Formats: sequence, C-alpha cells, structure tokens
Amino acid sequence: MTLIQEKTIAAKVRSDFPILNEQIHGKPLVYLDNAATSQKPIAVLNALQHYYKHDNANVHRGVHTLSSRATDAYEGARDKIAAFVNAAFRQEIVYTRNASEAINLVAYSWGLANLQPGDEIILTVMEHHSNLIPWQLIAQRTGAVLKFVELTETEEFDFDHFKSLLSNKTKLVAVVHISNTLGCINPVKEICAEAHRYGVRVLIDASQSVPHLPIDVQDIDCDWLVATGHKMCGPTGIGFLYGKLDLLRSMPPFLGGGEMIADVFLDHSTYADLPHKFEAGTPAIAEAIALGAAVDYLTNIGMDKIHAYEEELTAYLFQQLEQIPEVRTYGPKPKADGSGRAALAAFTAGGTHPHDLSTILDQAGVAIRAGHHCTQPLHRYLGAQSTARASLYFYNTREEIDVFIAALKEAIEFFGSLFG
Amino acid sequence: MALDNLRDLYQQVILERYKKPRHRGKTNPVHRYQRGHNPSCGDTIELTVKLNETGDRIEDVKFEGEGCAIAMASADLMSEALQGKSLEEALDMVQRFQNMMQGKGEFPFEQRKLNVMQGVSQFPVRIKCATLTWHTLKAAIEASNPQPAGFVSNE
Repeated sequence: MTLIQEKTIAAKVRSDFPILNEQIHGKPLVYLDNAATSQKPIAVLNALQHYYKHDNANVHRGVHTLSSRATDAYEGARDKIAAFVNAAFRQEIVYTRNASEAINLVAYSWGLANLQPGDEIILTVMEHHSNLIPWQLIAQRTGAVLKFVELTETEEFDFDHFKSLLSNKTKLVAVVHISNTLGCINPVKEICAEAHRYGVRVLIDASQSVPHLPIDVQDIDCDWLVATGHKMCGPTGIGFLYGKLDLLRSMPPFLGGGEMIADVFLDHSTYADLPHKFEAGTPAIAEAIALGAAVDYLTNIGMDKIHAYEEELTAYLFQQLEQIPEVRTYGPKPKADGSGRAALAAFTAGGTHPHDLSTILDQAGVAIRAGHHCTQPLHRYLGAQSTARASLYFYNTREEIDVFIAALKEAIEFFGSLFG
Repeated sequence: MALDNLRDLYQQVILERYKKPRHRGKTNPVHRYQRGHNPSCGDTIELTVKLNETGDRIEDVKFEGEGCAIAMASADLMSEALQGKSLEEALDMVQRFQNMMQGKGEFPFEQRKLNVMQGVSQFPVRIKCATLTWHTLKAAIEASNPQPAGFVSNE
C-alpha cells in the first residue's frame, strides 16, 4: 500500500474538523459512524454563522439588500450542487429536507399521478427504509405492486434477477446506489439502461454515494437521484432531489404553500417554475448555503481523490477484520486494492451482540453503529438480527482503524471468554 | 482499554444469565402472551405468563427472544423475580425498575438480585435494552386476554 493518498488527504484535512479533537471517556474520538452522518468542516460551520451574522433574510421575497444577498447565496448553492452531480440544468435540483423527503416528493407527486392498480415498482431487498416505506404507502394508495431484486451469493445486486423482474407492467425502479449495510456499489448506469429499454423510470438513492464518489447524473442517465446533505459534510435538514427537467415539469406539486406559486386566487392557483414549484414555504436557507460550502470543500479536495483514498482505507479495514476469526462481514469483499465496495463494514462477531460491542468500543473512544441501520428487511434476509457497522470517511486514518481493531479484539475477548 | 468502567454494566451475574438463562422458554399453559421489540436496534422479546386459578397472581414467567446481554439478562432476572407475585405487585416492580434506571431507588432485600441492573443507569443509551422486558411485561399484564396483541414498542 502506498500511503500516498493518506499523506495528501487525511493528514491535511483533519484539522478542518474541530470535532475530531474530542476526547471520549478520556480517549481520542475515533469516529467510524460516517454512514449515519458525517462530521462538518470549519468551512461549513463558518458558512452557517456567516449567513446568520451578515446575510439573514427571507429568500425570493424582499427587494432589500439582505434579501438579495440571501437569495443569491441560496441559489448559488443550488448551482454548486448542480455542478457537483453534473446536472444539465440548475432547475433540475430541488432542495428537500433530506433524501427521505426527496423520495416522498417523487412518490406522492409522480407516483400518485402515474401508478395504476397492477403496475409494478421494482425495489431491492437492500433498500434503506427511506426508499421502501414511501413506496409501500403509494402502493397501498394506488394498487401498485412491489417487487424486490434479491442478492447474489456475494451479497450484491442480482442483475439477472433484476432483468427477470422487468416487464411491461414495470413502471418504476427505485434502487440504492451504495447499500449502507452491504457496502456494495450497484451498477446504476446499467440498471438505468436496462429499465429504459422498457420505458421504465429509475430513481437512485445516492445518499451513500454522493459523499464518496464522483457522481454524474447525465452519465448514469437516471430519471431522479436523491441525496442528503448531512452525510456529505453539510448540515442536517437539507438534501436534494435531482430530476430530469421535462419529468419534473410534468409532475404536479408535492407540498403547497408560499414560495411555490405563481398566481393565487381563492379557488385555484398556478405554480411557480422549477425548481420552486417543489419548494413550498420558507426553505432551510442557511442549511442550503452551508451545503453549498460543503460541496465547495469536497470539490476542492477532489471527489476522485476522496474515492481513491477511501479505497485504500477499505483495503486496510478488511485486511484487519479478516484476521479476526469471530468476525463475519456482510456484502462483497473488496479487491486487493480496496476497490469494488464502499468504505464501510457491517459485521457480526460470534456470540457478542452488536449493542454490547458498541458499548465496549465506545469506552475506547470508538464510535460505531449497532442495530439494523434502517435496513430491517435486509437483516431478516441475511438472517442477522442486527449488525455492528464501522463506516469511514476521508478524514479517517489507518491509525484509527488500528484503534478500532484493537478495541474490537478486546471486546470479543471480553465476551468470548464467556462462550469459550 | 479500561474495561473496568464496564464492570458496573456487565456484572458477572448479568454475563452468566446472558450465557445460561434459567427462564427461557414458554410457560404451560399460556395465560398471557406478549411480544415486545426495540425498533431502534431490532431486539425482540416474547413473554409468556402462567397465572394462578383466580388469575391475579403470577405462577410462572418465561421469555424467548434475541437481544444483547443487557436485554436478555434483564428478562431472565425479571422472570425469576416475578414468580409468585400478584399482578399488582408485578406492576409496582415495573415502576420500581423504571425508577432504578433513572438512578432513583433500588429493590428491597428480597428482590436484591434485580439490583445488579443498577449499573445500566450509568449508560443512558442502554436503558432501553434493560427495560424492554419490563415494558413487555406491563403490556402482558394489562392485556385482558391471552391472545397476542401485536408488538409493544419500547420507544
């Protein structure tokens, strides 16, 4: 392993994240719960504060200077996001609270208007609840039927099974790009191409990919793509929906209220142009601007570099985990260079329950997730009641993985002696 | 790593009960049945209760389920402590256990085994693990018939 990326990225960026200096139970924080939420660099914190200190006003309303500054910053952040995912038009980016809201927007707007009884929606067994429950609700309302792509033996997206589910009845494919539990990277470009042969729309849940990989929505050719700001160095309360322009234009409004209108009469209204048609009410202005700062921050480092460094970390993480006989990881194994999967590992450790593991690791300053990670059906499918999960980001280091592994070994020993 | 901090939480009795529970299974007959789960982590528990002839006193409690050491040990210790208790006494114990998790009070001498769970109060995020079985018991007692009444959620 080269260490080149580590020297150029992690060492450089760690000082940008004040929280990484925290001590937990007297130990340096080792934050390995990035798939749940990422930490925030000082540039993002400053953007929030700067907005409230200098520019705070409502957007798209007043003609006064502050309103104009706030509007420019808010809309400027949209431009940054559009460029970040290579959208063809800035109006294709709709701000939402998070990825869940973006999916609900599509489900209630497009889904209710377009789905008929017997129409089929293809999901996968690995979906996060956020890309499952909205479709369950819409299926109940419309009579549409949910179909689920299963996993291959290596616990990845089964493309052959997917192809066998596609038919003239299929109206929508909604699939996660990177599974937050399996860490597999789904072939979304191929999925879109296959679905489009049947004229089927495709929604990509990119919550776990936009923070970690260069994303090009035009290259993927998805109809919609959703992501959330807080997993990509941005604040909570802001996410976005990308949708192809004509498609978004054809969709009825989701939430009604201020901001999303053109002309309002007592008995009817006309709606604002994209993207404001889908942005009812005063939006999360500071959060949107701060997400723009996060996008700038990630862009300055370079998403290709972040991805390359995370592959190095992935290789190291799995090398270390594989040396612990009690550990069973889920999802595909990485290639020797760390490519082929995301920089996270969901695992079980013999008879030691993930909750107990997490409590013991916390005493060593190590933050990991324990539970079902909002993928209950997947855990049921895998026959695991719950798993522990270590998920990395570009500010993590190999030294931190060493601390995690040492604590994990100690925890397994602590409980293992019981079952010996 | 200082595992010493963890000895308060993972007392020997808790680890032993996790490894070798004494009250796993189903009562015969089943007069009360209740499933409980902890939606945030997926832990599940199924309690069965056998009552006396007049239906106001617990003769036996058993549990099934999957969960962490704290959740399973808590269920085992609770099952033991409930033998022979009236339903009213059992509900008092639910309250007493919840208070203990808030750091307020403990069980009297004859139920002192339950006090090994006291250490959990120092780990706020784990209190739900310990109380799952007690929430489930409360629902089981308050249910008026032995039919499964769906899940009781610990949130």
